[in-house]
Amino acid sequence: MYRCVFRAVCPVRQPAAHVFETCVLPARCVQVFRVADGGGAKALSTTSTSFCEKSDGVTPPERDGKRSEDKDSHLSETANSVEGKTDDGSKVIRMAEQREDSAVLKTSEGGAAPQGGVTVEQEVGKPTQVKGDVAKSGKESLLGLLGAMKVEVTNKKKLKNLKAKQRYEPAVKPNPAALESTISMFQKATAESSAHSETLDPDLVAAASAAASTLPNQSQAESELLRQLRRHEAVTEAQRKGDMSNLGVIIADMKVGRRPNRQNARPANQIRFDDDGQGYTHDRSITAELDGVRRRRNLFSGKRLGIFSPTTDEDKTPPPPAKPTIWDVDFANHLVLSTNQMPRNGFEEMIQWTREGKLWQYPVNNEAGLEEEASVPFHEHVFLEKHLEEGFPSQGPVRHFMELVVSGLSKNPYVTVQQKKEHIAWFRDYFQQKTDILQEADVYLN
Amino acid sequence: MAAPVRHVGHYINKNSRFLLNNLDQLRGHRGFGWTTAVLQQSATAEKEPTESTEAIVIPRKKTWSKEAVLEALASTVNRDPTAYKYQFQDDPYLAPRTSAEFKLFSLSQESGRSAAKYFINSNPKFFTKDFAEPHIPCLMPEKVSLLLEEVSEEALKERISLRKVKAAVDMYDQLLQAGTGVSMETTHDLLDLICLYSDREPVQEGGPETEDVESAEEANRSKGRIRRASDFLKTIWRENNNAERIFNLLPERDTHCYSALIRGMIRHGAYVKAFDMYTDMLNNRMTADVRIFNALISGAPEVREKYNERWDLIAELLNQMNQQKVQPNLLTFNSVLKALRRCGSLARTQALHTLSEMKALGIAPSLASFDHTLAAFYKAASPTQGQTDLLQEVMSELAGSSFTCQDPDDVLFFSNVMRICLDNKDIELAYRVQSLVEAGENWRLLGDSHQQTIYYGRFFSLLCMMEHIDVVLKWYRKLIPSLYYPNVQGMRDLLQALDTDSRLDLLPTIWKDIQLLGHANKSELIEELLALMARETHSPEVQESFAVCALDVKSVFNGDRGTLSLEWSTSALCHITSLLLRAKRTQEAWEMLQLFKAKNRVPSEELMNEFLLECHAAGAPDRAVELVQLSAAFCLPATPRLAQQTLKDFDLTDEQRAALSELESAGEPTD
Repeated sequence: MYRCVFRAVCPVRQPAAHVFETCVLPARCVQVFRVADGGGAKALSTTSTSFCEKSDGVTPPERDGKRSEDKDSHLSETANSVEGKTDDGSKVIRMAEQREDSAVLKTSEGGAAPQGGVTVEQEVGKPTQVKGDVAKSGKESLLGLLGAMKVEVTNKKKLKNLKAKQRYEPAVKPNPAALESTISMFQKATAESSAHSETLDPDLVAAASAAASTLPNQSQAESELLRQLRRHEAVTEAQRKGDMSNLGVIIADMKVGRRPNRQNARPANQIRFDDDGQGYTHDRSITAELDGVRRRRNLFSGKRLGIFSPTTDEDKTPPPPAKPTIWDVDFANHLVLSTNQMPRNGFEEMIQWTREGKLWQYPVNNEAGLEEEASVPFHEHVFLEKHLEEGFPSQGPVRHFMELVVSGLSKNPYVTVQQKKEHIAWFRDYFQQKTDILQEADVYLN
Repeated sequence: MAAPVRHVGHYINKNSRFLLNNLDQLRGHRGFGWTTAVLQQSATAEKEPTESTEAIVIPRKKTWSKEAVLEALASTVNRDPTAYKYQFQDDPYLAPRTSAEFKLFSLSQESGRSAAKYFINSNPKFFTKDFAEPHIPCLMPEKVSLLLEEVSEEALKERISLRKVKAAVDMYDQLLQAGTGVSMETTHDLLDLICLYSDREPVQEGGPETEDVESAEEANRSKGRIRRASDFLKTIWRENNNAERIFNLLPERDTHCYSALIRGMIRHGAYVKAFDMYTDMLNNRMTADVRIFNALISGAPEVREKYNERWDLIAELLNQMNQQKVQPNLLTFNSVLKALRRCGSLARTQALHTLSEMKALGIAPSLASFDHTLAAFYKAASPTQGQTDLLQEVMSELAGSSFTCQDPDDVLFFSNVMRICLDNKDIELAYRVQSLVEAGENWRLLGDSHQQTIYYGRFFSLLCMMEHIDVVLKWYRKLIPSLYYPNVQGMRDLLQALDTDSRLDLLPTIWKDIQLLGHANKSELIEELLALMARETHSPEVQESFAVCALDVKSVFNGDRGTLSLEWSTSALCHITSLLLRAKRTQEAWEMLQLFKAKNRVPSEELMNEFLLECHAAGAPDRAVELVQLSAAFCLPATPRLAQQTLKDFDLTDEQRAALSELESAGEPTD
């Protein structure tokens, strides 16, 4: 069982940036390398192995420092064991990479003086101190670095929360919180490094080139550092103008620019299984989301079959309403059977009953079941005298009787208008059949 | 028309949305049903094209569907993970605790309903009183027997609507013999009926032969799709059956007739014949409809051997569709994608092309489309592990949306996706899938209880594998037993997760759950539980709870609960005994030791040592001597050493000393 074998915590663009009061440039990265278990090295991808090499290559005092750091972090980790172990359990190698990482990597891989690598990081991290940094001894910078790391460790929990939040978000854009913090960071940056103008400070350039000179491939490192500084200038400028959208664009650009680098640094799917057959997945908190951006369009954007031509709306005349054949009924039945139709609560059961017609429909009205009558206006029910106009005498006992009948009918809500008419028609027929008798009795008089 | 509609209404009882759309024109005027909803739908449908050009049309009156109030109320109710499923809440005694009970109870419920329905339908004379006002049609007996006896088209229609295949065919023949013409529409219906059931009597709901058949149908539902697929396969298309005979007798045949025949042939396995029929139709200069093409595409992999030939055939069919100006629908593309699953390596590229084609035509893919596509990329147990990019894309495409079932294969999506997550050990993705399941009405698409069990089983074992134990337990309480009854493997995964995170102190509670879930008679699970409990020594409180748990396990072994008793194994006996010893329950441990003898098992040497130490701690020389004697009775090789140690450590009487020295010396030659 390898517990969280390796971890590189990098608070890039995270709100925890306020920890680095001294950091002026945005997107600074302080890494905490933690080799928790020596045996874990096997399970690492080559990238992480290279990281391990780096930490191995560090001079003894530094390593000791890292070890002690290691313990500290371990303590804090047990303190908030829930979070820590969640990550452990998922055996995820957490790496939030930054351009500076690769610079550091290159340094160590190239076999240059390990402290030089640290110095570079420090320099890049604290450009305000850059002037003095060249002269500064490696030890001092190391101490500074460790101090920063400690502060960072205490904030680990917070970081993790943030990280977890970000991980669950399918959205690929940097979340507003992070952006905001970046912005606040930028504001600090602008406040502190107000000396920075549109062009790079020559001192800064000199410092960067000095730092780069400690690296094996000097020109590349220098150009990278300078590019980073310029980018910072652009960001600062944009921030000064208060142009948020522009800022977003710039940040997006930064991501895109970094991507090939990352892929070189960490090829996917290197070591997947260890002896017990349980694989480890890479952390996809940031990388995968970025990959998602790149490949998002692939699912539908590929070549299509090109057989059918998309129809316009005019072509789509709806087919004549065909009677559902037995096939359709069978298909529908099949669909219903394959899904889970069990109600989950009383209301859902009532919905089901409503659909089956077993329940009064909501909102309840007292005309339920009388839909056929809904189209009949009320006066048809009430004013029935007009049906007496033909076939009945205009006065006399028959007329009187029929008026009573009509009056009764008009007050009866339980029969339809049609039934009322039929009722009247029945009397009409009846009296017409009895005409003889009525005339004999002298009643059927006008 | 009344008769088919009534029959259709029977299915509507199971609230099919699909039918709703199809039937609205037919039934709109009847009013009691879904008129408002339907009118609203059609109104919006009419409005849609104009919306792009005109301003917003404010409706004069907003009509709510009759379920709107209830739906709003239902959306306020959350799932209670501590409650049993709603369907069982009527009778707490019958609340299922295991998956077997769940199956039994839900099937009994369903079969009870069917029995009542059958009784009502077969004895309509007892159910003539209509109490309900307004009238409730679905509570009244359905007409299941034939009323019209004379030879007429009406009688034929009645037989068709009641799905009496044989009677309908007979009636048709009689009509032909009498020289009476049968209208084209009725002939279509007749052909549809015969082809659908391949000239056999269908399994009819409410028919006299139904009870067992229907429960079998229910059983199929719970057993999953494999059984159901085989149900189709067992009915085969017979040569020259009545459908073909009637078809050949027809003076003129239109597309509908061909459609019925071709679909019937594809459905019942006569693929080559179906393609012949299609060629015949083309020769008669008729155009096919979309249903014919859907059927033919799904049959295409059956008539060609090679992968590329299969694909060529499908592509040709699609081209013909385009030539004949037939617009494809979702099912067309789902058939293509499903057929592509059997096209080997071609599937990967062509599936993506097909998806793009759907996009271009404005047909939204259903879950089944994605399922088929993913199946092309993630074969079970293939070495392409870890490539979850495509699934990531699919999930970000689907995230948060709610689906309705449009294809019977839709219900396979979630369990397959969870399998991919499990294969790739991708917990993040699994969480996303789960959140998709929780969105809207998507839980309905998890399928029947069997599919659900598969899905949650995979999810849970992934959790056990990847997550910290606290998270696992959170999900455990959330899912079990209200949604999922874990099987033995699931419980073992949980035990392993507990072991991994050193939370073995939770084992007694898990044991209670194991008993509740009816796994207390699974020996491998119990062995694992006991081994985990006995492996290390814990704090006294934990040991005490373990001892209680061990006694509980013992009672299961003894069959005290009236359940099937298990066979004692040596390791189980050893583990229980040592657990009791560690909790200082010497008397009970001693009883366990007697049990070894009764069950013809031999205790391990470590156990005897442990026992001796315990005796020493308790200062019980009698028991120590007895132990050594017992050990001698078991012929343990360690007997002399035990005897020696006893002699050394304990304060013994002469008699005991003599007995022990004898044992000690007796053992030596054997050493």
